Amino acid sequence: MIEIKNITYRYDAETDSEGPSPSAPAVDGLSLTINDGETVCIVGHNGSGKSTVAKHINGLLLPTEGDVIVDGMNTRDESSLLEIRKRVGMVFQNPDNQIVTTVVEEDVGFGPENLGVPSEAIWERVDEALELVGMTEYRKSAPHMLSGGQKQRIAIAGMLAMHPKMLVLDEATAMLDPAGRKEVLSIVRRLNKERGMTVIMITQYMEEASECDRMAVMSGGKLFMQGTPSEVFARGDELRSIGLDVPAAVRVCERLRAGGLDIPRLPVTVEEAAETICRLL
Amino acid sequence: MSIVVKNLSHTYMEKSKIAVKAVDDVSLTVEPGEFLCIIGHTGSGKSTLIQHFNGLMQPTSGSVTVDGYDMADKKQRKLGRELVGMVFQYPEYQLFEETVYKDVAFGPTNMGLDAEAVKNAVFEAMERVGLAIDKFCEKSPFDLSGGEKRRAALAGIIAMQPKYLVLDEPMAGLDPMGRAEILGVLESLRREKNTAVIMISHSMDDIMRHATRVAVLEKGRLIRLGEPREIFKETKLIREMGLDIPQSAQIAELLRKKGVAVPPEVVAEDELVEFVLAAAGRNNGRING
Amino acid sequence: MVKDITLGQYFPGNSPIHRLDPRTKLLLALAFIVLTFLVKELVMFVPVILFVGAVVFIARLPLSYLLKSLKPMRFLIILMLLFNLFFVSSGRVLFEWKFIKLTTGGIEQSIFIVLRLLLLVSGTSLLTLTTTPVALTDGLERMLSPLAKIGFPAHDMAMMMTIALRFIPTLLEETERIIKAQTARGADFESGNIIKRARCMIPILVPLFVSSFRRADELAIAMESRCYHGGEGRTKMKVLKYSVSDLIAVLIMAALIAGTVVLQGVLFA
Repeated sequence: MIEIKNITYRYDAETDSEGPSPSAPAVDGLSLTINDGETVCIVGHNGSGKSTVAKHINGLLLPTEGDVIVDGMNTRDESSLLEIRKRVGMVFQNPDNQIVTTVVEEDVGFGPENLGVPSEAIWERVDEALELVGMTEYRKSAPHMLSGGQKQRIAIAGMLAMHPKMLVLDEATAMLDPAGRKEVLSIVRRLNKERGMTVIMITQYMEEASECDRMAVMSGGKLFMQGTPSEVFARGDELRSIGLDVPAAVRVCERLRAGGLDIPRLPVTVEEAAETICRLL
Repeated sequence: MSIVVKNLSHTYMEKSKIAVKAVDDVSLTVEPGEFLCIIGHTGSGKSTLIQHFNGLMQPTSGSVTVDGYDMADKKQRKLGRELVGMVFQYPEYQLFEETVYKDVAFGPTNMGLDAEAVKNAVFEAMERVGLAIDKFCEKSPFDLSGGEKRRAALAGIIAMQPKYLVLDEPMAGLDPMGRAEILGVLESLRREKNTAVIMISHSMDDIMRHATRVAVLEKGRLIRLGEPREIFKETKLIREMGLDIPQSAQIAELLRKKGVAVPPEVVAEDELVEFVLAAAGRNNGRING
Repeated sequence: MVKDITLGQYFPGNSPIHRLDPRTKLLLALAFIVLTFLVKELVMFVPVILFVGAVVFIARLPLSYLLKSLKPMRFLIILMLLFNLFFVSSGRVLFEWKFIKLTTGGIEQSIFIVLRLLLLVSGTSLLTLTTTPVALTDGLERMLSPLAKIGFPAHDMAMMMTIALRFIPTLLEETERIIKAQTARGADFESGNIIKRARCMIPILVPLFVSSFRRADELAIAMESRCYHGGEGRTKMKVLKYSVSDLIAVLIMAALIAGTVVLQGVLFA
């Protein structure tokens, strides 16, 4: 379980705290609890502070005020940092900048090596992780010859080899093409369904959020709203006021409702939208 | 006057055993004022194709002419290149000057414009992309936000006043607001200056809304060329290529599967809403107000 | 496409030479360099050349690969050849014109220098041709790890080399892209004098540096997230093991060196 307790973070807090006008905080009094086995999407426009929150979850950043507790361990406690990072796998935006070595399988083994896992056990973990992301046949490849989606799968495998409980994807699909995005999303969904892994997805694609359990919408460093996708998408006008929008499928039904059709509950996915419309005709 | 691509093929590592035909016998014409979107799976040859438009790459066979200038000829290429602006993926990574003004001025200065003309071009371009001149001119491009950097880089190309603007996924990685800003800039250029926009994009909803024509590439071949609604009707083909289909088109497709008689030309969001409203009103008068 | 370039000059294969432990090969390469300097008589190069030939044969290396690795050295070789030919004067004078003098000693000396140079380069090339850069780095780290006790950062050096190998293709690709982007903005990298051309590099170098720093920063964050905390307490996925063939290879090299020294001592004392 992750408990984010009223955190505030200023990027310049350490450098010029004496300065006359401290800049606006990147995260401002945010609280959020994520339970085991949940899929939570944190959405927001560029600069809303969503990535800053992600980097707090495994202690890459420490809050200026407030606390982040992962499975009972405070990220401020330096002695539990390794344990926290082992439990929370992080996948970042740029696929190129998180692969460390020149051969795929060695990169997947990088995390376990750091944890001091014995060699034979590393091989087992690497085999398993590559299998889970469907990249076994590329194990001897050079990372720079892979596509963006494949690189992100390797990055996920690198995390899985550390046997984490939770996976944080910090805009991990932002630089991928539609096919790559689908690859990554379906793997993450499967890990959640079949292995009960907790998934926290930071994204600006509202469509990606439509299948998660809970959404947290951020704006200006603050938690703007949270709820199930259907609860959040029902407040389309508020989302638009902070530069976001609902997925097109939801918007179609919004407009039908505005056109006078009787739609008591807005759909979330394309399939639901089609069903809703079908019932009207 | 137009960009004319004739039987263009490009092969990488032509002489080696691992020769790859990236573009294969593509012919197409781009007219001023149109908004041509190029779609295709990663590796379908889109980026290779567009780099021929301003002579950054040379065809293995076939030809490219820009307003009559043959891009294979070194002297003519220089003239042709000035007509074609090229915006690469993540163009903010090409910013290098101390100030936004100097960076935007790089292109027009290289073209040999005099100081006054450069200044006018820079100011006009900055205004067009929405970077207020008094606020941004003297700022370092490295101090801007992500969306602002992208727009500054775009201004650097617009300041060269190209007749044809070629862009490789110009909205990648931006949030909905940032995307809308870029699309707004492109639309205003078309409207006010009759600039042709040639854009690679994966965002099918944006293409649906803005493109006048869509070119579909697969394995280097141009397999479709037509109006967006014509292209997106072929949901099966597009899905097979690993591309997205606009959500409105997906809904229309699902409705057809459920037996609703949705006409094939209903693809875009507006059309779908209009159709459903009309059909619902006709069928059972459930419209309340 | 720049992407396809192979780094170093590894020639893939599975020969006994390829399979030798990288540490053994590093050691042998070092010993080979020493050997070429131990040779003092032209004749004594014969076994050394035979040795190189044998390694090339066993490793099934195409000769063209070896020759390619000698290519960058050609100017140095020609220069050394001419210099020694005409400026070393010992032995019988064969030809004399103004300050140029061709002597038997000069000919001998120049053949000697050129042979030594060729052997030095091909010896080290044999190492890089049959060993992947990763294995080399790994081998170096293991060999230098005893020095860690006296504060030598063996692990960190190896990690840096690995990252460099990983990112060189990425940065090459990026450089290509930046060059294209600036060319499209009318930058001219081909004309003008040296100063003008050097200035033209700024639009390429600045973005490249900025991007490298960004990459370094992101990579550091990613490594930290993967629990990297230096070499301490770290295990290795691939464990290097010496085998019988390593022993045989070392013995052959030892025999070659000993033979050369002894023979030279006996025959040319």
